[in-house]
Amino acid sequence: MNKVSVIGSGNVGATTVNYLAEKKTADLVLVDIIEGMPIGKSLDFVQSGPIRRYDVEIVGSNDFASIRDSDVVVVTAGLPRKPGMTREDLLIKNASIIERVSEEVATYAPNCVMIIVTNPLDVMCYVALKVSGFALKKVVGMAGILDSTRFCYFIAEELGVHPLDVTALVLGGHGDQMVPLPRYTVVSGIPITELLSEETIESLVERTRKGGAEIVNLLKTGSAFYAPAASVSEMVEAVIRDTKRILPCSAYLRGEYGLEDVFVGVPAKLGKDGVESVIELSLSKKEREALEASALTVRKNIEIWEAARRSAKAGVKG
Amino acid sequence: MKKVSIVGSGNVGTNAAFYIAEKRVADVLLVDVIEGLAEGKSLDLMEAAPIRGYDIGIRGSSSIEDIRGSEVVVIAAGKVRLPGMRREDVLEENTQIVAPICEDIARFASDAIVIVVTEPVDALTHFTMKKTGFKREKVMGVAGVLDSVRLRYFISRKLGVSPLDVTAMVLAGHHDYMMPVFQYCRVAGIPITELLPKKELNDLRKQVRNAGGEIVSYLKTGSAFYAPAASVAEMVEVIVRDKKRILSVPAYLQGEYGIDGICLGVTILLGAQGVERIFELRLTEEQTSALKYSASVLEEMQKKMLKTWGLN
Repeated sequence: MNKVSVIGSGNVGATTVNYLAEKKTADLVLVDIIEGMPIGKSLDFVQSGPIRRYDVEIVGSNDFASIRDSDVVVVTAGLPRKPGMTREDLLIKNASIIERVSEEVATYAPNCVMIIVTNPLDVMCYVALKVSGFALKKVVGMAGILDSTRFCYFIAEELGVHPLDVTALVLGGHGDQMVPLPRYTVVSGIPITELLSEETIESLVERTRKGGAEIVNLLKTGSAFYAPAASVSEMVEAVIRDTKRILPCSAYLRGEYGLEDVFVGVPAKLGKDGVESVIELSLSKKEREALEASALTVRKNIEIWEAARRSAKAGVKG
Repeated sequence: MKKVSIVGSGNVGTNAAFYIAEKRVADVLLVDVIEGLAEGKSLDLMEAAPIRGYDIGIRGSSSIEDIRGSEVVVIAAGKVRLPGMRREDVLEENTQIVAPICEDIARFASDAIVIVVTEPVDALTHFTMKKTGFKREKVMGVAGVLDSVRLRYFISRKLGVSPLDVTAMVLAGHHDYMMPVFQYCRVAGIPITELLPKKELNDLRKQVRNAGGEIVSYLKTGSAFYAPAASVAEMVEVIVRDKKRILSVPAYLQGEYGIDGICLGVTILLGAQGVERIFELRLTEEQTSALKYSASVLEEMQKKMLKTWGLN
């Protein structure tokens, strides 16, 4: 049996464990630094096993050593953005969490594929890659698949067709920086541009961009976790079962789309080694510019992190 | 629980019941004229239920009036082709088999939606519609769903990607002129025309056209049934659960694509009412004329068949 560890036992992490247990994908470890929390949640899971017929092991732990030899490690640990917190504050705080986690992952599960969920996503992937020293294809971020599943749902609802028949392709960053590609977004192979007016498509794109915020506004005390967890578990499945799915993911680019040394959302082939290839599509000028703008934001964030890291090191030395 | 009847408990019929049971879609009645056959197969299926965890009922019968109250009736009775035969070669024999079944469906399950599996499927879908006197929305065949699932598999192997990410569309008749529409065949939304050169597309076209024949040539004493049964079960589930899926099936055309009065494979919206909508897609000029050619071949056969039976 393969082994998957999920770092962070909040709603996204725990629900990911739930989906993976239901699909019997692998033995599961839920890790958190909050004393007792992952252990309590995993007990709750195993006690539902006799009804739900799980035959995978689910273990909770406060000790990173329990992720030893995992095939996949999912990182959901991090803080949500709180009122009064700047984006930069959040970036620095979460980067320090990812640094710590990445060191532990490199120690105990040096051969795993790391799937990053923590926001701001693309820069957190970069942090994980640099700190872990992993091979480039072994670190991948979850964002595009969530945007596209939301987009698919909205399209299906609009057309009155089954969501299974809708396939959406989005590039770029999560939310505001998403670059939707309507001509690659299809219903049973038929591009939505043949089925919906330009205005309708634009309104569905807008709703997708704000899909996360729409749910935060409704929940008030938290954010979405079912669709995010479903997206993560789809990626985990692709890696564990080596299914070569083509999914929009945040991947490290080395010249693809003319971009270098940055993580950006692109269609990627996922298999047992992580990102096995990045698929390059022919983009319009407008789409290319939007993707470049998205990459530029990520680049700026990387520089903020690098500067903070340098001054922290200097501080330690001084 | 809704009820689905499958007339003909050969390999396709029985495996369709099996898939329907595994997905707990509906209660299934298997019917066969051969005394005991449907009863035996359904008993075998039900005895697996405690392990497989399905809680729907499967029953066998040799009396077709038991189809009363069915939401969907599948016609899977008839001869299959053997090596060296074309689908058309079983037309006469299979019309003889399907004719009384149509009369029984009209009598005992007049509200049902009918799915025709028996070959040659385009012609027999037309025959079933006329013989039952059902509206065109209520009668369709299994062809495009099967041809496109096969094409999805071939594309996924060629590109080394998961079949889950591949969609495919195959239109026209379920015969040597079936037509993959490559601009609507996609991998995660990307048209395969951007991923494969023309020569590879031509190979895929040949491969899917020959897919049924390939399996017949291996099996020698029969034809494929797993993928056909999976296709039947998929269509049944879409209807029973009113899933509104966009699929291609042989349906009766009344002017769509400029084709009138015959059955052939087109893209439809499938739901609880059957064929809820027929889509006319943007085909290239070459594709439009290929579709018309396929239609002309089918028209000749279908007109002749209806004339023989005095159906018009």
